[in-house]
This record gives sequence, C-alpha cells and structure tokens, in this order.
Amino acid sequence: MATTRTRFIALPLVRWLIVEFSLLMILSVLWLLESRLAFYSAFIGGLIFLVPNTYFVHRVFRYQGARKTHLIVSSLFRAESIKLALTAVFFAAVFILMEPVHVPALLITFAVMVVMGAFLRVLVHPRPRR
Amino acid sequence: MEIVFIAAAIILGSGALATGIGFALLGGKLLESTARQPELAAQLQTKTFIMAGLLDAVPMIGVGIAMYLIFVVAG
Repeated sequence: MATTRTRFIALPLVRWLIVEFSLLMILSVLWLLESRLAFYSAFIGGLIFLVPNTYFVHRVFRYQGARKTHLIVSSLFRAESIKLALTAVFFAAVFILMEPVHVPALLITFAVMVVMGAFLRVLVHPRPRR
Repeated sequence: MEIVFIAAAIILGSGALATGIGFALLGGKLLESTARQPELAAQLQTKTFIMAGLLDAVPMIGVGIAMYLIFVVAG
C-alpha cells in the first residue's frame, strides 16, 4: 500500500508582515514631511490595519489541506468578524485616548494600507514543502 | 447630532452585510473548488486569502470613517 505524504505549507505570516511593515514605514516617513504629529498618527493608523490583519492571516493559515477545507472556511469567517471588531475597537481607543491626533494622516494612511495591502498580498506565495 | 449616529450605523451595517455576503460566496466557492480538485487546495487557499483582502477593503475603510463620525464629529 502506497503511503501518502501530507504537503505542508510554510506559514506566510512573517513574509506578509515584512511586506506590510515596509509599506507602513514608507508611508509614515512621507508624513514626517508634514509634522512629527502626522508621522506618529500615520504610524498608529497603519498599526490599526496591521494588528487585526496579522490575526486574520494567522487564523486563515492555521489549517491547510483539502481535508480541512471546512475548518479553513469557518476559520475565515471567524477571523474576518474578529478583524472588523478589532479595527473598530482600535479606532475608538485612538480617538478617545490619543490626544492630539492628526486625523487626516491617521485615516489616509489606514485607507492606503488597506487598498495597497489587498494588492501586496499577491507577493505572499506560500512555499510547499514535504 | 442624531443624523451622524444614523449615518455611522448605516455605514457599519451595510459594510457588515456586504462583507457577510461576499465571504459566504467566497467560502462556498473555496469548498466547491477544493472538492473538485483537492490537489489545488493550497493554491486555492492563497487565492482566497488574496480575494478576502480585496473584498474587505471598502468595509474596513467604512469602519474607520464610522468611528471618526461617532467619536470625533459627534463626540
């Protein structure tokens, strides 16, 4: 009887984090031309995107393989709802607790990270290994 | 003032509804295609991840704007 080997995929979390964090640093440094307040507001805006998405990537790639597709899908739904909730909580926390805050820098960096992040995910290729 | 809260509620509600429908379709297609070709499961998972990013871009920005309306404009 032939033995079947399970194929594992290297978790692309670290690679994804490096790509996203590089984009965040570039955007934050661009806001430094405006002011230091804009710089750290932009950095916080990027982190509001990055932290819930790190959790999302971790949850999505927790299960792998055709036999665990139902677990992947349920994990995807749960991760997405928790990600949206975390984003709302972080925004609320920043607007309540952070004083002063450069709102355009915060929101524009967040929006750019969201839009660019969707396209930068193409760079994340999980490497199959035996 | 109340109109700001109503606007934020509409943004959050419609964003959540659209994300729910989109993810339901995406998850259904992932299950369907993995059942058809199980050997492509890893690639399909990555493609689902990429599409999830495109799918929730607008609702995520909506959440940010809604929080801004609630805590800065109305607050």
